[in-house]
Amino acid sequence: MSIDAKMAWRNIWRNTRRTILTISAIAFASLLLVFMLSFQFGSYETMINTSVKIHTGHLQIQAAEYREKRNIRYIVSDLNNIAAVLENIPQIASYTYRAQAFSLVSSAKRTYGAIVTGIDPAEEAGVSRLKSLVRQGAYLSGEDTDQALLGSLLARNLHVKIGDELTILGQGRDGSIAATVVKVKGIFKSGIDDFDRSFLQIPLKTFQDVYAMRGMVHEVVIVAHSLSDVGPIKRTIQKDLSSLSTHQRLVTLDWDELMPGLRQSIEMDLISGLIFYILLVLVVAFSILNTFLMAIFERTKEFGVLLAIGTTPGRLTKVLLIESMTMAAIGIAAGIIVGSLLTLYFQLHGFDISGASELLSQFGITGRIFPKLSWISATSGPTAVLIITFLAALYPALKVRKMKPVEAMRAN
Amino acid sequence: MKRTVIISLMALFSVLAGFSRARAEDVGTIVEDSFNYMRGKSSVSTVIMTIHRPSWERKMTIKAWTRGQKDSLFYIESPPKDHGNGTLKRGREMWMYNPKINRIIKVPPSMMSQSWMGSDFSNNDLAKSDSLLTDYTHSILGTETHDGKRVYLIKSMPKTNAPVVWGMQKLKIREDLIWLSEEFYDEDLQPVKVMTTLEIKMLGGKLYPKVWRMHEVDETDTYTELTYTSLEFKSNLPDSLFSQTSLRKARR
Repeated sequence: MSIDAKMAWRNIWRNTRRTILTISAIAFASLLLVFMLSFQFGSYETMINTSVKIHTGHLQIQAAEYREKRNIRYIVSDLNNIAAVLENIPQIASYTYRAQAFSLVSSAKRTYGAIVTGIDPAEEAGVSRLKSLVRQGAYLSGEDTDQALLGSLLARNLHVKIGDELTILGQGRDGSIAATVVKVKGIFKSGIDDFDRSFLQIPLKTFQDVYAMRGMVHEVVIVAHSLSDVGPIKRTIQKDLSSLSTHQRLVTLDWDELMPGLRQSIEMDLISGLIFYILLVLVVAFSILNTFLMAIFERTKEFGVLLAIGTTPGRLTKVLLIESMTMAAIGIAAGIIVGSLLTLYFQLHGFDISGASELLSQFGITGRIFPKLSWISATSGPTAVLIITFLAALYPALKVRKMKPVEAMRAN
Repeated sequence: MKRTVIISLMALFSVLAGFSRARAEDVGTIVEDSFNYMRGKSSVSTVIMTIHRPSWERKMTIKAWTRGQKDSLFYIESPPKDHGNGTLKRGREMWMYNPKINRIIKVPPSMMSQSWMGSDFSNNDLAKSDSLLTDYTHSILGTETHDGKRVYLIKSMPKTNAPVVWGMQKLKIREDLIWLSEEFYDEDLQPVKVMTTLEIKMLGGKLYPKVWRMHEVDETDTYTELTYTSLEFKSNLPDSLFSQTSLRKARR
C-alpha cells in the first residue's frame, strides 16, 4: 500500500461515526436502487405476462391487413402448414386459433355491439386465462355448440344471466347475413373493463358455421414459455412462414405491436421511477458533499502544516479523492451485495401486493410480484451513485489546491 | 296528402315543361321538393345493390317500400341464403329481422354508424335520410349545366345543436329536381363519402336516377351501387306495412 493510500485509509477512520454514516448513506442508496430497479423490471414482466394471458397472447399470426382493418375477409387459411411450423418451435408453450367479427348481440331487452369470438375451448385454456376468469356459470366445453361466454359488463348491459338466450346478428365472410341464437353458459370478469364490456365467446366450430368461415380463422395466438423467447420465436416463424408458398401475406405480431398501450404505460412508469431515482442520488450527493466539506474545514490547519512541510497540492487532492472513493466503493459494494440478496429473496418468494390489487388489476396484475435481478438492475443504479459521489468529492478536493499554508495554519 | 300531390304534379310539370326559375330563390324548397320528388308520396321498388371491393363483388336484390320522408321497409330477395332478411325504419328507429333465427333486433344508437349489410351505406344514412331536410340550412353556391339543364350546387350546413352525422353536405340538384350527387363531409369539413347518379331513366312514370353509386372519397375500386330495376309510386301505403309484424313476414 502506497503512503498516500495508507494516509487516506487512516484519515477515513479518524472520525469513525461520520464515516460509517456516509458509507451507509451510499450503501442504502445503492441498495434501494438495485432493489427498486429489479422490482420495476420484475413487475413489468408480470404485467406483460398477465396482460397477454387475458387475450392477446405473446404473439399472433394474422393476415397482413387484418390488424388495421379488422375485416372478416382477411383470414388465415392453410392452418395445417402453420401448425406444422409451430409444433417444431420448442419455445412455444401453446397456441390456439380464433376467429372474430363485430356483431349485434341482443337479449330480450337490449342490443349492443360486441366482438364475437370463436374459440377452441380446450386449446384456449392453454393460451389465455379465460377459463379461470369465468365467475358465473361454466367455461365452454368441447361439445358445446350454441353456448356462449360473455364479459360481466356486457352481461350487465344486456341484462342477461346464465341460461338466457342471446341473438347474434352480423355479417359472414361471404357477405351474407350471419345470425344465430346462443345460450349464456358463463360470465367472465377479467378486471379490464374494455375486455369485459365488448367480448363474447362462442365455440370456433359454431362461429365458422354461422359466419361462413369454411374452416378458416383470423388469428393464431401463441404463448411462449418466457418473455425473452418472444423475439427468437417471432424470427423463426417469420422465416418459416415465408418459405411456405401461401397465396396470402401473413404477418407475425408480438405483444408490443398487439398492445401498444402496455409498452407506453411501462415507459411512463419507468420515467416516473427515474425521477425518483434522480432525487435519491441527488440527496446522497449532497450528504457526501457535506461530509467532505466538513472534513476539509476541520482539517484546514492540518492541510496548512502539510503544505508548509512541502506536500504538493496535487498530492493532497489525490489523498482526499482516495478517501472519498474508498468510502464510496465500500458503500456501493455493500449496497449491491445486500440489495442483490434482498432482491433474490423476493425473487424466490414473491411480493404480496393484495393490498394494492384494485389499482394493479387494471394492468392485469393480481397476487404476487416477483422482482427480477439482472446485470442492468444490479449495476446501473450504483454506477450512477459512483459518478455523482466522485463529482461531489471533486469540489472539496480541488478547493485544497487554493489554500495558502500560512493562512491555513492560522485557521480556527 | 293534397300538398304532395301538388308537389308531384309540379315536379312532373317541371320535367315536361322545363323549369321554373322562380324556385331558385328558395333553396330549401328545391331540396325539399327534390327529396319528395325522389321519394314520392309512397313508393314500391326493387333495387339491385352491388357491393364492390377490390377482390370481390356481391349483388343483392332488395325490395323496398317507402312512405313519406320517414318510413321505409327493405327486404332481401336474393341471394337465397339471405332471403327474407329485413330492415324496418320508422322515424329514426331501425329494426332488423332475420328469418333463420326468427328474431327482430332493434339497432341500438351505438350501432347506427355501422355499415348496413356490409355496404358503403351506414345505418344512419338510411335512418337519418330526412335529416338533410330538418337539420340543415341550405345555400346556393352556383350553377352548372347537365344535359342542357341547369344544375344547382347547394351547400348544406347543420343547424346549431342539430343531432347530425355530417358536418357539411354538398348537393347537386338538377332543375327538374333530379338529385345528381351528394357529398358528405365530416365535422372538420373534410370530404368522406360521395353519392353520385350514374344513369337517369324513365322509371315509375317520371325521370329518375336509375343507378346510384356511393363510395368513399379517394376510393375508386370500393363502392356500393344501387340499380333500380322497378319503381312504382303510390299515393299511399297502409300503416300496417311499416310495422314489426310486417317486417317478420316481409314476403310480399
